[in-house]
Amino acid sequence: MSEITLLLVDDEERILRSLAPLFRNQYRVLATTEPEEALTILRRETVDVIISDQRMPAMLGAELLYKTRRISPPTMRILLTGYSDLGAAIAAVNEGEIFRYVSKPWNAQELRDTVAEAAAIAQQGFSGPACLPTETERDRVKVLVIEDDTKTMDTIREITRDGCDDECELYCVDNLEEATELLRCEEIGLIVTELRVDEEDTISTIKALKRYQPNVVTVVVTSYRDNMALIGLINEGQIYRFLPKPVSRTLLARSLQSALHHHRLLRIAPTIRDRYTVLPSLEERQDMLPARLRGLITRMRRCSST
Amino acid sequence: MTQKIDSLILSVPAVSPNISIEEVGEYFLKDEFKALLSIPVVEAGKPVGVVSRYQMMNIFIKLYGRELHGRKPVSRIMNVHPVTVSSDQSMEEASRYITRNIGFPITEDFIIVDDGGAYTGVGVVLDLLKAMEHQLVKHGKELSVAYNELKSSQAQLIQSEKMASLGQMVAGVAHEINTPLGYVRNNVELFRENQRQLSGLLGAHGLLLDALHAEDPDDELIMERLAQIKKWHRLDGQETETLFDDTFFGIDQIAELVASLKNFSRVDQAMADNISINECLDTTLKIAHNTLKQKVTVVRDYGSLPAIRCMPSKLNQVFLNLVTNSAQAIDENGKLLIKTFTKDSFLFVVVEDDGRGIPEDVLPQIFDPFYTTKPVGQGTGLGLAISHQIVEEHGGAIRVSSRVGVGTRFVIRLPLDGAPAQHTLVAGG
Ligand SMILES: Nc1ncnc2c1ncn2[C@@H]1O[C@H](COP(=O)(O)OP(=O)(O)OP(=O)(O)O)[C@@H](O)[C@H]1O
Ligand SMILES: [Mg+2]
Repeated sequence: MSEITLLLVDDEERILRSLAPLFRNQYRVLATTEPEEALTILRRETVDVIISDQRMPAMLGAELLYKTRRISPPTMRILLTGYSDLGAAIAAVNEGEIFRYVSKPWNAQELRDTVAEAAAIAQQGFSGPACLPTETERDRVKVLVIEDDTKTMDTIREITRDGCDDECELYCVDNLEEATELLRCEEIGLIVTELRVDEEDTISTIKALKRYQPNVVTVVVTSYRDNMALIGLINEGQIYRFLPKPVSRTLLARSLQSALHHHRLLRIAPTIRDRYTVLPSLEERQDMLPARLRGLITRMRRCSST
Repeated sequence: MTQKIDSLILSVPAVSPNISIEEVGEYFLKDEFKALLSIPVVEAGKPVGVVSRYQMMNIFIKLYGRELHGRKPVSRIMNVHPVTVSSDQSMEEASRYITRNIGFPITEDFIIVDDGGAYTGVGVVLDLLKAMEHQLVKHGKELSVAYNELKSSQAQLIQSEKMASLGQMVAGVAHEINTPLGYVRNNVELFRENQRQLSGLLGAHGLLLDALHAEDPDDELIMERLAQIKKWHRLDGQETETLFDDTFFGIDQIAELVASLKNFSRVDQAMADNISINECLDTTLKIAHNTLKQKVTVVRDYGSLPAIRCMPSKLNQVFLNLVTNSAQAIDENGKLLIKTFTKDSFLFVVVEDDGRGIPEDVLPQIFDPFYTTKPVGQGTGLGLAISHQIVEEHGGAIRVSSRVGVGTRFVIRLPLDGAPAQHTLVAGG
């Protein structure tokens, strides 16, 4: 096993000096205050894990991680930030496709664990599918839409009818109860969901789903703007896209297309699937899940073990 | 609530037009007419005229006046155009009509009719004047209450504008603190690990010493314990030193950020002596750092300024408004010049950016309340209006010059001998 390389980027060098001793014993640690230099390093050598600050004078962290994804897809991306603006977190999801969002000040042991997890995943290698999905694998993906706003629902219906009717089969519900029922019976591949429907929160369900059915891809379309919730959805739900309402039709269409593609990829390439491992959610760890969801989880567990 | 004229009605009996002048003269002597200047003349319930004490006097005073005219009906001498108002008119309306139509000197009272035009009584001009005066006093009071309310609501506006911009800034600073907090916490964590190493090492040294000092030293045991000591990592003294430095630096920085917030948000709006404007600017820039650092290079060119008497928290608000405006006018890679100097008996603060600039047709409006070119939700358009007001309260002035595509310069002039006393402030309520 080759040595694991960790790249740290932060415009405050004291952060770099402080982080280095934390990791030096296990990894080869590279560090820079310049995002541009980080990109040069990424082009030049293999980096397994990158940890980047968000607010830097030269470039935002989300942008750096987006570029990282382009230059070096296998590199696991972690955002370490003291700012909690929603815009940054949204960009980190949609463009950076980050593995974890870590807030400053961080807990040393937790950060070590996060990096260790990312490093282990990176070490498995990044092998995309040897070939594109075959005809049989291109069966129609079951898409569950959880949305109580009819306008958004209609737009999604139109998009799927116009664009990818042969690719997906739509299940539309406007409440969590029916959604749970469908998730029990059908093998859903993609969910497009609001965060609150019919006075109920879908967040725990989204998180549990990704944890127990890692092939499921989630696109959140919401008018709910809460940075803390989004951070939770990143770390514990690995949502694929976060689209604040009002969302343009083209953006929604593009997101659904790439989410479908992403789902197919996950199905055939397990090593890629691991890259989207989630942290168990706080609600689950504290055993505070609603009964309905607990039932679903039990079922999902049973299915995945067979 | 507006008062109606009917509150002034005196329901005195009227006389008929056929009654003789002599008789009317007697009426004037009766108690119920004592307070009146005139007696109304009514026919079939409707007023047809008015006859005044003054007219009567004119007749009776003349030689043989009474004899010549006394028997004639009053209709011969009465004023057939009495000033008449309707009882449902408001006091203001009625008084406006009466003052316009009544003759001077005032020799008559006015007649009040109901909405059908029927006679209901008379009103005395003097009473009307009294009532009006009473109303004026009341209005005056209302006016001053309204004025005070306005003043305090404006103060509230200033306050809430401040809170809004402050809110943004506080959020920025709070986040700013997270960076030093991040490495300070992490360094302390590292020190703890080091500390564990050290105590382990000390323990091992102790054991070695014990082995060396034994009555009968056992070479094998000594070698074993030496080997154990070697197993401990070597701590890098130089690095530890650096991390300590960083930690103290971080703590100082946190303290500074907290202090700047405290300076900035000083709730007391009070005048204070010995305020350094340069320090105020530094506080403001520290607060705004988060807004600026992404795209703006700040150049400070401070002259040496004497301390002045002012309201620092208010001036901070002005500076923050200007700096924020500049930051918002800059897309990227901008420059912000903050310059201070004194000239004659004034102190000047220049805030100059190389941002978008302000079009000529917009320039005259920027100090107007609620004028903004920013999208809804982003700007209230109060920043400059309030800044202008605050600077005026300090007996100073604020000027702007701008060119599109080149930049904008605001110059604030403040008197060195402090804000004049008569400009005491609209304090919060
Ligand atoms: N430095 C500047 N460069 C360019 N335009 C400016 C500058 N300062 C002010 N302006 C213009 O003047 C307008 C009024 O400014 P003002 O500070 O009163 O309100 P605002 O900035 O729009 O809103 P708020 O201050 O409440 O956020 C701005 O909308 C902008 O168009
Ligand atoms: Mg402004």
